[in-house]
Amino acid sequence: MSRLTLAIPSKGRLMEQTTDMFARAGLIVRKVGHARGYRGEIEGLPDVDVAYVSSSEIAEALKVGSIHLGITGEDLIRENISDAVTRIGFVHKLGFGFADVVVAVPACWIDVSTVADLEDIAMPFRRRHGRWPRVATKYMNLTRRFFASKGFGDYRIVESAGATEGAPAAGTAELIVDITTTGETLRANGLRILDDGVILKSEANLLASNVAAWTPETRALCEDIGERLARAPRA
Amino acid sequence: MSAETTREFEALEAQAQTLMSVFTKAGYEAVAPAIIQPADVFLDVIGESLRARTYVFTDPDGAELCLRPDITVPTCRLHLARHVDPATPARYCYRGAAFRFQPQGADASHPREFRQAGIERFGDAEREAAEADVIAIVIKAIEKLGLKDWTLRLGDLGLFSSILDVAGISPRWKKRLDDAFLKPQSFREALKVFTSGASTTRLSVPAALLASLDSANRAASETAVATYLDDNAIELIGTRPLADITEHLIGVKESGDEKPLAADAAALIGRYTEISGPARTAGAKIAELVNGAPAGSSAALETYDRRLALLANAGIDLDRVTFSAEFGRSLEYYTGLVFEVRAKTLGPQSPLATGGRYDGLMRAAGADADVAAVGAAIHTERLLAALQGAAS
Repeated sequence: MSRLTLAIPSKGRLMEQTTDMFARAGLIVRKVGHARGYRGEIEGLPDVDVAYVSSSEIAEALKVGSIHLGITGEDLIRENISDAVTRIGFVHKLGFGFADVVVAVPACWIDVSTVADLEDIAMPFRRRHGRWPRVATKYMNLTRRFFASKGFGDYRIVESAGATEGAPAAGTAELIVDITTTGETLRANGLRILDDGVILKSEANLLASNVAAWTPETRALCEDIGERLARAPRA
Repeated sequence: MSAETTREFEALEAQAQTLMSVFTKAGYEAVAPAIIQPADVFLDVIGESLRARTYVFTDPDGAELCLRPDITVPTCRLHLARHVDPATPARYCYRGAAFRFQPQGADASHPREFRQAGIERFGDAEREAAEADVIAIVIKAIEKLGLKDWTLRLGDLGLFSSILDVAGISPRWKKRLDDAFLKPQSFREALKVFTSGASTTRLSVPAALLASLDSANRAASETAVATYLDDNAIELIGTRPLADITEHLIGVKESGDEKPLAADAAALIGRYTEISGPARTAGAKIAELVNGAPAGSSAALETYDRRLALLANAGIDLDRVTFSAEFGRSLEYYTGLVFEVRAKTLGPQSPLATGGRYDGLMRAAGADADVAAVGAAIHTERLLAALQGAAS
């Protein structure tokens, strides 16, 4: 009997919500061994190995097929896997972990409300400052794809590891692409989302790696877990 | 195909030597620019869209570098390093590897590492002559290797600007249409919006504030914007000063006040973008448009005809030449003529050679003014594949 590996976020709200969601589906997830360890199991499904892994590493593991199933945000999948459509199967949307990836500019830019307006200001900005407007983000690929789809190319990406919302006020970038749930942090940092600036409405998903080694047994397990989650009441 | 066997390697080497011998005999100096280039120049010139296709990396000192995605920009940099006056006439040729990430996955026609052989010429006053020369040499080189069934496709970004001139529209509309032309997917829509007189902005700035702005009184306009920000408790943050925001708002206001694009001008522009077919027939169609236009001028047409005549003089069979008004709109850094040479066996997605005029590139790479520049690069793996396909 071949075994199925399922990766669950290793910390924070996403881990709690995942565990709760699985419990409502009748899938009781438990840690194995030490409470601070990173391995677990599902009650009644002895052929499933649970691995606790950080969300971004789950995207990576799905991409290379070192796990069969994983739970992570769609934002990380779209950002980190250029051919997500072929490599990843979206099994089930989980109804939590909502986050929008958005383009936000300083609220004082009252002359800019769309990407087309950004395009209008890019050339005058370059004339004055000698460079294109900078976009701070950790979502380099989503940003590029989104702006390319709008025909906008006059900008430079500045990679941001954290506290992206602070970049415009700090003067290290002119605008940002980041995730937001309520918009509160953006407002607190004097930023506003562009009218057409929602790049992706993301939520946590149960995902299957199409490049992992699948057998009829692991396929059946995947279907079983997916069906149970689909039938489970939402929080 | 990458040269992973001795036979492939030697076939590519022999081919590259033949190409280089044609180029150097024609008076192009052989150069070998560096493979590793500063990423800045490419990203500034070509924009973030190419970053997605470029292998960018950071060296141990933290400098942002890239594997050259083409050899044209490195040749410009080499020219700038050699000459105090960037407009100094020069002709270069090169062969070597270039690197591009292939988002759809690499394949034989779209490898991530490929060899280019190409020519670039800078500072020529005789524009069409330089362009015809580059095209003729590329075709001569390809023919010398035995490929006979080529076709040549032309486009011209400068011709679009000329069409706008003869359409008799205001400079502001000309600029907006010129910008819009580079985005084929939204161009028809933009034409519709421009002629409808509908506002092209959706800013939520109060009309009273916009009305109070005046390009003749910038100080008062800035104060009005500052007061609006204060009243609405919006803090001025970031690197973009109040003056820039005010300036742009004034521009928005003034373009809102402007009359919509005339319907007959839009129709003329629409008809132009549909022109596609044999180069001589296309020339006749363009002549028809230009002669019927309000501000009819034959300058653009003369350029078109002179180029074809020069190509014919250089021995290019015009029956194999097509022109498409749409062609070249989404191509990187070209500013005027664009062209591609195709082989029947390879299909339209895999041209054998591409090139054109790129007068703005030298400035972007550090020169203080535009420099006349035209060049072309041959995709040598595709050429070899076409030759082997023809032989088998």
